[in-house]
Amino acid sequence: MIFSPPSALVKVALSLLGGIILVTLSFAAPVPQSGANGAAKDSAAVTVHAINLEGLKTLFKRDTANAKPLLVNFWATWCDPCREEFPDLVKIDKDYRGKGLEFVAISLDDVTEIKTGVPEFLNSMKATMPVYLLNENDPGPAITFVDPKWSGALPATILYDRKGEIVYKHFGRFSDAELRAAIDKSLGRMKY
Amino acid sequence: MKKSQVSLLLALILILAGIALAESSTAAFDVPAAPAIGATIGDFSLPDADGKERTLNSLKGTNGSVLIFVSVQCPVSNAYNDRMEKLAQDYKAKGITVIGVNSNVAEAADAVKSHALANKLSFPIVKDAGNKIADRLGATVTPEAYFLDASNKLIYHGRIDNSRNGESVTSSELREAMDSTLAGKPVKTTTANAFGCSIKRA
Repeated sequence: MIFSPPSALVKVALSLLGGIILVTLSFAAPVPQSGANGAAKDSAAVTVHAINLEGLKTLFKRDTANAKPLLVNFWATWCDPCREEFPDLVKIDKDYRGKGLEFVAISLDDVTEIKTGVPEFLNSMKATMPVYLLNENDPGPAITFVDPKWSGALPATILYDRKGEIVYKHFGRFSDAELRAAIDKSLGRMKY
Repeated sequence: MKKSQVSLLLALILILAGIALAESSTAAFDVPAAPAIGATIGDFSLPDADGKERTLNSLKGTNGSVLIFVSVQCPVSNAYNDRMEKLAQDYKAKGITVIGVNSNVAEAADAVKSHALANKLSFPIVKDAGNKIADRLGATVTPEAYFLDASNKLIYHGRIDNSRNGESVTSSELREAMDSTLAGKPVKTTTANAFGCSIKRA
């Protein structure tokens, strides 16, 4: 078989393929781990607050006239896909915080990690969003409150609009493009 | 465009679509649904940590079995080590065998064996390479329990109890299901969401 030079269309397809392979490889790259080697030196830079079910209910309430859309990410330091997607969340926080999005991360780590493993990981990520740790002996009622269809498997990412209605939810590692599109829509920033 | 170029382009589009599909499938929990309560779980054979093939029917007790998906590394699963061992001891004499199932792709049989030794886990733990049994049972996290009666009928599916911290447990749904079944009474709670680390599938 004779192989003729690729057409422009084929070149575009090859470029796309190459790009996607690079992106895929970058997703497979190791992510900084919390702990002695991966931890930031200054673990006092981030404060993680304990929160219970009642606190969650208050936090999620969108009952004021100027309420902002709320993005919530449930995660844990022991959850691999949570650690993998965290840099994207840090970027989203930086990109949208000044544009009217409220974003909180809620850790389901053990409460004994509230001053150690959790802030160490957040510092290593240079995270700036408010972070809470769910401090409930039984996480079941809080999980059911968030979404009866959520088993509690991590990560879980939910976006509430200004009225407190769920407009996006994803259990498992989220798609950056899908989440950003949902945030844009909730902020009334449609992109065409 | 020549025929060979069209073929190449079509192949590339298929590859691109495949990659896109693979990316999206890692994002969600694309796990088959768990069998309904009352469904009969067919016998299966898996190697234990020593490589010896073990079947469900040869391991189960006269009154049934409890399959618990476990992990070597998951801190939630590890928080249950003592409770799982006690469960195995408590119900051995009552004819119910606890069977650990490790479906995590990154945890090899030798790691499962050394972990069981270090944590004094005496119950059998089988290695589910390729997560066939995890898929068949719709298991998503560790620890996650399935109580089967003597005929392998699924009686209870879900968490072991309601707290990662053993001292804070106020509800033990798995034990309650086992005790009710042993007493010939109806099981009050047949499912309860299991909380833990996602099973890393092959």
